[in-house]
Amino acid sequence: MSAAIRAEFRKFFTTRLWWGMAIAVILSGAAFAVLFALVFTSDIARGPQGAAVPTTDAALAKAVFTGGIQIGYLLTLAIGVMTIGAEYRHQTITATFLAVPRRGRVMGAKVISLLVIGAFYGVLSLAGAVGAGALVLTAKGHHPFADSSIWRTLALSLLVLGLWALIGLGAGILIPNQVAALLISIAVAWIVEPVLGLVLALTDWGQNISPYLPSRATAAMLESTSGGFDGQPVDQLSWWAGALVLAAYAAVMAGLGTWRTVRRDIA
Amino acid sequence: MDPAGPEPTGRIEVRGLTKHFGSFTAVDHLDLDVAPGRITGFLGPNGAGKTTTLRMLLGLVRPTAGTATIDGRRYADIPNPLTVVGSALEATNFHPGRTGRNHLRVQAAASGVSDKRVDELLELVGIPAAARKRAGGYSMGMRQRLGLAAAMLGDPHVLILDEPANGLDPEGIRWLRGFLRHLADEGRTLLISSHMLSEVEQTVDDVVIIANGRRVAQGTVEELRGEPTAFVRTSDPDRLTAALQQRGLRVAPKGSGLQVTTEDLAVVGDIAHASDVAIHELRSEQTHLEELFFNLTETEGDRNRLTGATSARAGGSPDLPPPTLPPPSGPPVDPSVIAAPPADAKETGR
Ligand SMILES: Nc1ncnc2c1ncn2[C@@H]1O[C@H](COP(=O)(O)OP(=O)(O)OP(=O)(O)O)[C@@H](O)[C@H]1O
Ligand SMILES: [Mg+2]
Repeated sequence: MSAAIRAEFRKFFTTRLWWGMAIAVILSGAAFAVLFALVFTSDIARGPQGAAVPTTDAALAKAVFTGGIQIGYLLTLAIGVMTIGAEYRHQTITATFLAVPRRGRVMGAKVISLLVIGAFYGVLSLAGAVGAGALVLTAKGHHPFADSSIWRTLALSLLVLGLWALIGLGAGILIPNQVAALLISIAVAWIVEPVLGLVLALTDWGQNISPYLPSRATAAMLESTSGGFDGQPVDQLSWWAGALVLAAYAAVMAGLGTWRTVRRDIA
Repeated sequence: MDPAGPEPTGRIEVRGLTKHFGSFTAVDHLDLDVAPGRITGFLGPNGAGKTTTLRMLLGLVRPTAGTATIDGRRYADIPNPLTVVGSALEATNFHPGRTGRNHLRVQAAASGVSDKRVDELLELVGIPAAARKRAGGYSMGMRQRLGLAAAMLGDPHVLILDEPANGLDPEGIRWLRGFLRHLADEGRTLLISSHMLSEVEQTVDDVVIIANGRRVAQGTVEELRGEPTAFVRTSDPDRLTAALQQRGLRVAPKGSGLQVTTEDLAVVGDIAHASDVAIHELRSEQTHLEELFFNLTETEGDRNRLTGATSARAGGSPDLPPPTLPPPSGPPVDPSVIAAPPADAKETGR
């Protein structure tokens, strides 16, 4: 198993994808942290209309530090898709299964390596976000590390990126064409699903469902408040429930992908 | 290691192997034996089912029925298989953004092989420098060499190569022949597929021919090749026949001329000259093997006819070779004929 995991890491770090992604993750982490820090501390946002704006220093810091996490998880989602999609597209999957014919083992190695890779990008994202965000917050007279729950948010954001990568892994298998898989999963995760969440939240019955959507579960996990169409904060799960829900999505997607992969002919 | 070298291992056994793709039967109750320590050519026209068979043997494609084992084990049951079986498949591709060397290093990591071996192999196949460039720009020949290096990574004693000569220039093919011979001389078992007889005929010991997913012939090259014959057309067949027979040559009428069992055209010419017979045509004939293979590829488009022709099941089928063919001098091709050389009595699997 450890040999298969090592092979997965080598695959990942021997194409140019990884450092392109690394730069994107650091920059987006920093940029969104600065943006959120400036907006949330501005007088307009703090005025009567800004109902969804974090009020405590701790909430403010969490929102700022995880401001770039959506871009981050979209990128690791793409990495998850490409981890398997590129193997089929370039037919390296043949070599992979020749070396390790136990396909479940290969999939296990992919899952573990993606969780580590997610954490790796999480560290990069936070390096950008905490560095830039803390600077702005301090300058604006807010305490960037007001209480210890911030550390939990930071730690969980590493897990968030890994779990989304696993969702991508499943999507990359279930949608056979890599380009289609990338487009569909990004479009769904970025636009369709968040909008669906907002729309659902408008109805009585949908209100109970929307907190369980992946993006809402992610926000809950990171305790970053977000507003609905009316600007009011929407209901969300507690951080641990959010983590469990997102982990369940990841497990289901990776599980379906594994199930499919084990049976598929490599022709 | 004893001087005689290790006992050859690497018996490949395929029994009743069948693969349906939907309603299409790509491989049809195929039986196949590869004897340890020998080079076996796996021949068939395009679409005959060679690649599908090899992929089933390597656990990449799930058979509809039948078994395929290497030293008695399914590929997936071999622990760390790259150290036992090396393979280079037709469609094995490389990530265009990864260097060839890194491709091998990925495989090395997956099978616990040292990175040093990667560089040794790149030397061996002659692409040490080029392999540091991204694979996207590789020529077909480089891909084949890289594929061979990948197959050799775990120093396996069984090698399964799908169309290794594809895309190689004549120089490359010569190099490949030498390389394969060298591997065989080291006692390794080789199974090499090709859709071109001429590519492998000089290299292999044994031949298996399939068409439409069924085995058509199996035997040693000598058996299948039959004795070399010459075709001669003359003004006076009777006189020439007598003269040739007098010199101990076998002669039979064939079409508008005679078929003489010899590979030496000069002998026929000289005898004709000595007995004052005019020659109108004199040429070497295709070997039985060539003709057999040629007939298969020629009728390739005619699926029904071919299927009918092979329906009596492979091996010794009276329908094949087609009736127009000269009978092979060897015994009828039968699965039992190719039964392994005595090296058999070795332990399987290690
Ligand atoms: N995944 C697949 N789905 C449907 N049909 C397939 C599939 N793979 C192969 N076939 C069909 O099975 C037949 C055998 O294909 P295969 O690739 O095994 O032939 P081959 O002997 O390797 O031919 P070639 O000399 O062209 O490489 C072909 O007719 C091919 O179209
Ligand atoms: Mg083929």
